[in-house]
Amino acid sequence: MLSSAKHKINHSDFSISSSTSSSLSHSLSQAKNMTQVTMEEEWKEINLASLHQHRQLNIDHEPVLSNQNPNKSIFQDFLNKPLNQEPPPSSSSTHHGSLLAPPATVISLNTHSIDTHFDESAMFGCFGKKRGQDSDDSRGDRRHKRMTKNRESAARSRARKQERAYTNELELEIVHLQKENARLKRQEEQMQLKKAEATQHQTKKILQWSLTSPF
Amino acid sequence: MSVNNRDPLVVGGVIGDVLERFTRSIDLRVTYGQREVTNGLDIRPSQIINKPRVEIGGEDLRNFYTLVMVDPDVPSPSNPHLREYLHWLVTDIPATTGTNFGNEIVSYESPRPTSGIHRLVLVLFRQLGRQTVYEPGWRPQFNTREFAALYNLGLPVAAVYFNCQRDNGCGGRRT
Repeated sequence: MLSSAKHKINHSDFSISSSTSSSLSHSLSQAKNMTQVTMEEEWKEINLASLHQHRQLNIDHEPVLSNQNPNKSIFQDFLNKPLNQEPPPSSSSTHHGSLLAPPATVISLNTHSIDTHFDESAMFGCFGKKRGQDSDDSRGDRRHKRMTKNRESAARSRARKQERAYTNELELEIVHLQKENARLKRQEEQMQLKKAEATQHQTKKILQWSLTSPF
Repeated sequence: MSVNNRDPLVVGGVIGDVLERFTRSIDLRVTYGQREVTNGLDIRPSQIINKPRVEIGGEDLRNFYTLVMVDPDVPSPSNPHLREYLHWLVTDIPATTGTNFGNEIVSYESPRPTSGIHRLVLVLFRQLGRQTVYEPGWRPQFNTREFAALYNLGLPVAAVYFNCQRDNGCGGRRT
């Protein structure tokens, strides 16, 4: 489990010579007992291990793995690669999807490979905001992702607010319509009464007339 | 009446995230205690520990209906990768009656959202016949659309949803 504090691990020259599973685990174990390496490489290690676990080692990734350049650019490549790729057709069709499928953010990589209940704030803490070796790119990326999520959250809030307003409107209209309905019914009743009276009166008159007609 | 763009189900994203557009044709009344659920109502978990009373309309007692209750915002609305979580599934509800007269094939599990403000959606479908719907086997990653397709339930005949966040949530506002 990644802690929220930045931490360095003792690694050797982090080297992966081929993509086969045995050498992968060999280099991982080798990595456990040596010199300094940054968080990026530890992260790469974890991701590669999960890749192996999920059996999604993609041919396209070999060049990345065998490139033994341990500096931060490889991390960028690793991140950027999946965004340009199609998900491999043989990947499992589970909802979690492939790690190689375009994960919109590093955050989703994080979620899928580590723990589905990973709290968002902890995720950011893992990366840390003040890592001196970060390129501006990845920092901008994270900020951009955060902005997007914030925007979505704001949109949801506005939607909720809008519905509340709409429901209120409808409720008011119901009350208004009920009152009007009651009023119109009363009106109709009265008109019916008047009409009944009028026809009665009319009939009387006709009768009177006939009674008094001169023959 | 068909759903228009100002309908709370559309505004709240329920049409889209969970359901297709449909035309309401059957009355659906959901009540937790004394509160009737209207679209977008805010309810806390402590108020919905026990299953609600659900009454449906319709006219012909020979028609049977299925009620589905899902949460599309699991584990959180900003990252709903476990969408949807099935909270309750009742089948064979005769028209004009309620869930008490149906077959509760997935028991009511009270929602307890930990992160964010979740929508809880209750959907009513008309069944083609009696006892034609079977339990899905698990709750997370349920898909209402697929479920309806699988059992030829067609489009919903009614739906309502409410919002739920944890009891000591701040209502989505930072203080």
